[in-house]
Amino acid sequence: MQIGLIGSSKNVIFDPDPRAKLSMLLAVNIVMISGGAAGVELVLRAVCAALPFLLLLSIRHFRAAVIYFILLGTAVYCEGFVLPYTHGIAGILLMIPCGILTRFTAGYVMCWYCVKSVSVSEFVTSMEKMHTPYFITIPLSVMFRYFPTLGEEYRSIHDAMKTREIGQSVKNPLIYIEYVLVPIMMSTVRIADELSAASLTKGLSAGGKRTHICEVRLTAADRLLILCSFAMIILFFVF
Amino acid sequence: MIELQNVSFEYTATGANGETLHKNGVRGLDLTITDGEFVVLTGGSGCGKTTITRLINGLIPHYYNGELNGSIIIDGVSVPNTPIFETAKKVGSVFQNPRSQFFNVNTTDEIAFAAENQCTEPERIKEQIAETAASMRIEKLLDRSIFELSGGEKQIIACASVSVLSPDIIVLDEPSSNLDIEAIEKLKAVLTDWKAQGKTIVIAEHRLYFLRELAGRMIILDNGKVVKELHAEEIKALTFDDTEQMGIRPLSLSDIRFNGCKTASQGNTIRLENFDFTYKDGKHGINIPELELPENRVIAIIGHNGAGKSTLARNICGLERKCRGTLTLNCKALKAKERLRSCYMIMQDVNHQLFTESVRDEVMLSMTDKALTDEQKAGRADEILAQLDLIEYADTHPMALSGGQKQRTAIASGIASSKPVIIFDEPTSGLDLAHMKQVAGEIRKLRDMGKSVFVVTHDLEFILSCCEHIVRLENGEVVQNYELTNDNFHLLTGFFDGH
Amino acid sequence: MKEKFEIKELINVGVFTALYFVVVFVTCFIGMVPICMVLIPLVIPIVAGIPLMLFYSKIKRFGMFTISGVLFGLIMFLMGSYSWVILLTCGLAGLLADVVLMLGGYKSIKHCIAASAIFSLWGIGTFISLFFGFREEYLQNITSGYGQEYVDALSSFTPAWMFYVMAAMCIVGGIIGGLLGAAVLKKHFRKAGMA
Repeated sequence: MQIGLIGSSKNVIFDPDPRAKLSMLLAVNIVMISGGAAGVELVLRAVCAALPFLLLLSIRHFRAAVIYFILLGTAVYCEGFVLPYTHGIAGILLMIPCGILTRFTAGYVMCWYCVKSVSVSEFVTSMEKMHTPYFITIPLSVMFRYFPTLGEEYRSIHDAMKTREIGQSVKNPLIYIEYVLVPIMMSTVRIADELSAASLTKGLSAGGKRTHICEVRLTAADRLLILCSFAMIILFFVF
Repeated sequence: MIELQNVSFEYTATGANGETLHKNGVRGLDLTITDGEFVVLTGGSGCGKTTITRLINGLIPHYYNGELNGSIIIDGVSVPNTPIFETAKKVGSVFQNPRSQFFNVNTTDEIAFAAENQCTEPERIKEQIAETAASMRIEKLLDRSIFELSGGEKQIIACASVSVLSPDIIVLDEPSSNLDIEAIEKLKAVLTDWKAQGKTIVIAEHRLYFLRELAGRMIILDNGKVVKELHAEEIKALTFDDTEQMGIRPLSLSDIRFNGCKTASQGNTIRLENFDFTYKDGKHGINIPELELPENRVIAIIGHNGAGKSTLARNICGLERKCRGTLTLNCKALKAKERLRSCYMIMQDVNHQLFTESVRDEVMLSMTDKALTDEQKAGRADEILAQLDLIEYADTHPMALSGGQKQRTAIASGIASSKPVIIFDEPTSGLDLAHMKQVAGEIRKLRDMGKSVFVVTHDLEFILSCCEHIVRLENGEVVQNYELTNDNFHLLTGFFDGH
Repeated sequence: MKEKFEIKELINVGVFTALYFVVVFVTCFIGMVPICMVLIPLVIPIVAGIPLMLFYSKIKRFGMFTISGVLFGLIMFLMGSYSWVILLTCGLAGLLADVVLMLGGYKSIKHCIAASAIFSLWGIGTFISLFFGFREEYLQNITSGYGQEYVDALSSFTPAWMFYVMAAMCIVGGIIGGLLGAAVLKKHFRKAGMA
């Protein structure tokens, strides 16, 4: 799982603050997934559908932006113009994928954008700026750090299983799960122990104040984005 | 100044049946370390050297549970009575496992971490990082993911992350365990710098050769007690025989003796053909059109960091399916998938290859012969366990064993699998002299059973104690392939002295 | 929460939540096979219950598991692109499981198994919108011009009772997972002196 790949590169046209990105993600998710298609909600949906497209352009992922545009466009077109002329099972078969696409694509692309463009330290720093307590930020950093380790552990265990010719048959999934999970769980316990010891000697303390070398600052544009996102969410719930 | 006065510590742990176990730490220890001293702690596994490092950085009693008596005082302040957060300002720590000592994913964040925790101004931290990076020449490693780095690079980042707070005291717990010779050279350079800056350094280690010039004092421990103390001049004067007698690793690689091979090769060969493999990154890989090796011998695979040693081992084993090469053994050309069935690998981290709930089950798991009944399998397993001095642990959970015992359990399963080729990946990382010799003995046993053994290693002493043939890789290609004889001995020492 | 959490506890929360998430995520992929799809609410808690029980054995303080629930919700929301309801269900399920653990004094295996069943109810957040949000608000809104035919057909695909069946599957899966986890703990971790 690669996190924050684009964040470090320089050729980003517009890079909002992580907090702005998160509030946009929240708005897109809420509006797109359960929003209707009439009146104010239609306008909100249109805005939220456009956001991921523009953000993809801003990080120069033109191909992804075009694919997103075509996918969502087709689904919306089908829903609006083709569906009324279909009947019975054909209609249902068209309706379900279209429904899924129109509701989830924007949110999914938005997630992808956030994960790719926010580095772990940016994320944690902005969480702390939002006064997130230490008992959320510390485990959160550890989680992000532990994902790639889990991948490494799994690969080693998989290799070991191959050389020992065990767990290969699909006949007994429980045995397979035991062979994979137990060593991973053992490593998890061990790594948690060693990591705790190392962190303590580096002066990490529960609830202690920390500084950050990573800079996150809210610009006027970021504030505007956050304001708009929340305005959309409020509008959505009111109407 | 660090003063340990009459310190005793016993670890407490919970056993298999919920009973409380006491494990030895140190007993009645008196030790005074003056400012700027370079102290090496050594001795067999479980001798108490790691415990001393933990007493100094405050992990005992603030993290590890147990019974502590006596006083530990650093610059007039008692460590057990100071929060570990405060001790951290004065004492920096580097640990054995480069994989589990990082809190951050990004290297720069990791270096900044300790300073951030002390609430240093961000601008000041950045300056310090730049300074540290420049003095350690690691600018290239900044702002990278720790998952892209080699073990050696990780350990250097760990050193940098300690350096940034410029603590007066630095403790290191077996920092070289997972490093190759080159990385050890870099570690040595860092230690030399620190010593020049007047820092107090306490290092617990098995491998000693790189500390010969640096050590101001060497303390040999056994069973939680100091058995011998040596000073700089005495350390430099130690010969191979002296260290052998004390039961510690040699202080110089140049006077390790080679006794010559005892058995002659029988003339059968293993042929590798078209071993051509590149990793997805396109940079690393191996390219071996043809390689002929003796059968039923112990073959060491050596080479610099990134030369392709582990890649070759993985390919011999058949773990990379994309490799189209064949290995001819007993006139049979084996493809990758077939090699998986005739090769067994003992990994560097054996924790990953032990799956069952008891040592006996672990060995029986490898017996794939369907004709055997469970009783026959158990009998055969016990025979193998007896050969490897594991029989008393037959019903113990493999994870409850010590590192060396786990490795022997893995070897036992390898024997049980009755595969003709056994591959070891860095079998001696982090082992003391006695355990290293034990592994060497086991490998010779495997050879006597008729197995062909490959060993990926950078431990000269270990090579000389059991290997009979050397393959040296550089940039993914075989550059040397020779039988280890008195005539060729200089080729091997040449490689190890080349740094 | 009177006392501060220890670093070790917070790191345990981090690694075990990560492990739980990855197990859930991977099991989801196995569920991509169409026939298995229906069984997902049952299968996920069974597999994920195994590491969960090990995590429970490390918990000695109220609040740890609530944090875990909140974080798990957050990561599911960020990476799984589920609706925001998932934040709510994960947090609540975490809190309830935490209460159950506390009632068991952080020692009782039975309470751990019950907590595993309760926590697996976070799954409701993944499919609740298929029933209530989907049908009542969105569907009728969009199909108002298409006629009753669609509404009926779609309703038959996702009848309301199906929701309760799926919720029940979560609980049953959670209990089975808890029992399996307890067995694994006994078989491996206690024997190895690691739990």
